[in-house]
Parts: sequence; structure tokens; C-alpha cells
Amino acid sequence: MFDTVLIVALSALSIALLLLFIRVIIGPSTQDRILALDAIGVLLVGFIGILMILQDTSVYSDIVLVLTILGFVGTLTLSKFLERGVVIEHDD
Amino acid sequence: MPFQILINVLLAILWMFLQNEYTVVNFISGYVIGILILFIIRRFLKFDFYLKRVWAIIKLIYLFIVELIKANIDVVKVVLKPKQDHQPGIVAVRTQLESNFEISILAALITLTPGTISMDFSNDSKTIYVHSIDVPDKEAMIKDIQGSFEKAIMEVTK
Amino acid sequence: MNTMIDVLVAIFVVIGVFFAVVSAIGIVRLKDVYSRAHASGKSATLGVIFIMLAVFIHFLSQGVMNAKILLAILFLFLTAPVASLMITRSAYRNGVKLEKNTVIDDLKEMYEIDQNQSK
Repeated sequence: MFDTVLIVALSALSIALLLLFIRVIIGPSTQDRILALDAIGVLLVGFIGILMILQDTSVYSDIVLVLTILGFVGTLTLSKFLERGVVIEHDD
Repeated sequence: MPFQILINVLLAILWMFLQNEYTVVNFISGYVIGILILFIIRRFLKFDFYLKRVWAIIKLIYLFIVELIKANIDVVKVVLKPKQDHQPGIVAVRTQLESNFEISILAALITLTPGTISMDFSNDSKTIYVHSIDVPDKEAMIKDIQGSFEKAIMEVTK
Repeated sequence: MNTMIDVLVAIFVVIGVFFAVVSAIGIVRLKDVYSRAHASGKSATLGVIFIMLAVFIHFLSQGVMNAKILLAILFLFLTAPVASLMITRSAYRNGVKLEKNTVIDDLKEMYEIDQNQSK
């Protein structure tokens, strides 16, 4: 019963990821695409979390951390690049 | 305040040595006893008891979580409404907070509260521009932000 | 005892997945990038925080205190507002249109003043 709930949850998350992917493809502006990719990153973290419960292992916890940080840095870099044309600003 | 925390940690380590058991549980119980000792002798030390500030931080976090859950119920309502007729808008909110740290906390709080996300700062960083998903009443929204969050943040950092 | 914890974990997972799905629907359905940022910045974050809490409780019931999960929750909490702020700001500065029934736009004035000063 418990496993069934988790598998249903995983399928629902997959559908959510698919919907986000639609937004990545059609998104009128580049910012829409970044937003959807950021949300995909966040939802993947949840996906891996449910897999951790399902497989009863805690070895994925490092992946969760790295994915969180990488998703954040990627979003920041892309939006900063679109805003100013540079990623790292110099004061001169 | 750093001095008091240092005393507290030292008391906790002392307690751990006295128990002759070097475990996390002993350290935590020592820390709690250290808090009690500091609370009793606070009058002789001639400075404010630092837990007052910790209490303010806990209140701020509580506010944060409650607002986050309210915000999500709000988003669910907006997203699942059959007809999308909400009226979004960008509102300028003046703030009295001064340091960059306080203003960034306020911006983060605004983002996680019902119907609003912070978008941009003015050049003197005295005004936060807030995008709201539904603005029936501009003044009430500004008053809400200034009344609840600014006060809670000021209590922590003043 | 064990089934109690399983039920709790299942409830948390279901709540989290509900919020995640709502945020995905919101990102597809809402009309402009600023409104979509509401869906992604709030609902997706809270949903995933609920799921990670479920993971934490599940491993705690087996006697494993997994601090990395708590760290991931903290990171999600701290980074979500910054990410949505950066995206909406870059969208506004690149001139992405607001949706048509927008009522107030205070930010426009500031950029007009800015451009007049730089002339």
C-alpha cells in the first residue's frame, strides 16, 4: 500500500515535469524557459527524495544537495547574463 | 552577544568534562544549563540577555512558515480557478529598514508571502518593487507588508 | 508504530506532490512570466520541502539522522526567493510585456526617471 502511494506520487511528478517541459519548449521569452528549467531542477530534487524512500537508501542525499546548489547557480547565471550581458561584474 | 555565546559554549564543554562522557546529548544538556546560569546572573554581567534576540528570530521563522503556507493556498486558488481574471500589478513599497541585510531578508519574506514577489530595488535601495498577482487594494497591501514584516525584522536586528 | 510513521510519510509526500503538480499547472496556465514566477517560487519550493521532510522522517524512524536532507531544505528555502527575483528582474529589464489586464505599474516610472537622468 505504502509503495503504491509512492509510485502514484512519482507518476504525478513525472506528469508535472512533462508539463514544465512544454513550457520550456513553447515559452515566448527566454526568461520563461529559465523559470521552467529552474522549476524542473527543484522538482527533480523531490523526485530523487521519493526514490530514496522507495529504495530505502540514503546514498542519494549527496545528489540532492548538489542538484539544489547547481540548479540555483545555473538560474542565477543565466538570468544575470540575460540582464547585463556579463556574469561577473567588475567595478571599474 | 558573541561573548555570551562563547561563555555558554565553554559552560557546555565544562559540563561535558564533568560528566566524563563526550557525547552530543551531554553537550546539549550542558548548553541548556549554561543558558539557565546566564539567565540567573544576567544582572551582574551588565548586558542584555542574548536569548531575547533568539526568541525574536524564532518568532520571525514562525511568521515565515505560516505566511508560506497561506501563500501556497493562495496560489492554488489562483491557478485552479476556471476563469483567469485576476488583476496583477507592480507596486512600490517604501521601507524604513536601512542595512542591506535587513532589506534582503524583507525581500525574501515578501517573495514567500501570499500573492506577492519582490522584483527590483530602487537605486537608493529604499523602495522595493513588488509584483502582486491580485491588487484590489493597493494601500491595504502596502500597510500589510509594513505592519507585519518590517516590525518583526526590526525586532531581530535593532 | 511503524505503520503510523508510514502513514505520516505518505501524507507528507501526497501534500508535497500536490503542491508540485499545482505549480507545474500554474507555470503552464498563467499568462505572463511574472505570474508564473509566483507559481514556481512558492508552490514548487513548499512542495519539495514537504517531500524532503517526509524523507527525513522516514530515515529518522529507522534511527538514521540524515543532516544532509535538512541542509537541502535550508538551501531550498534560501535560494527560491533569490532565483525568482533575479528572473523577474531580468525579464523586466529585457522588456518582457506584462499581461494585458495589469492595473498598476510603479516600476515603469522609475526606469523613465533613470533614462532621463542618464541623457
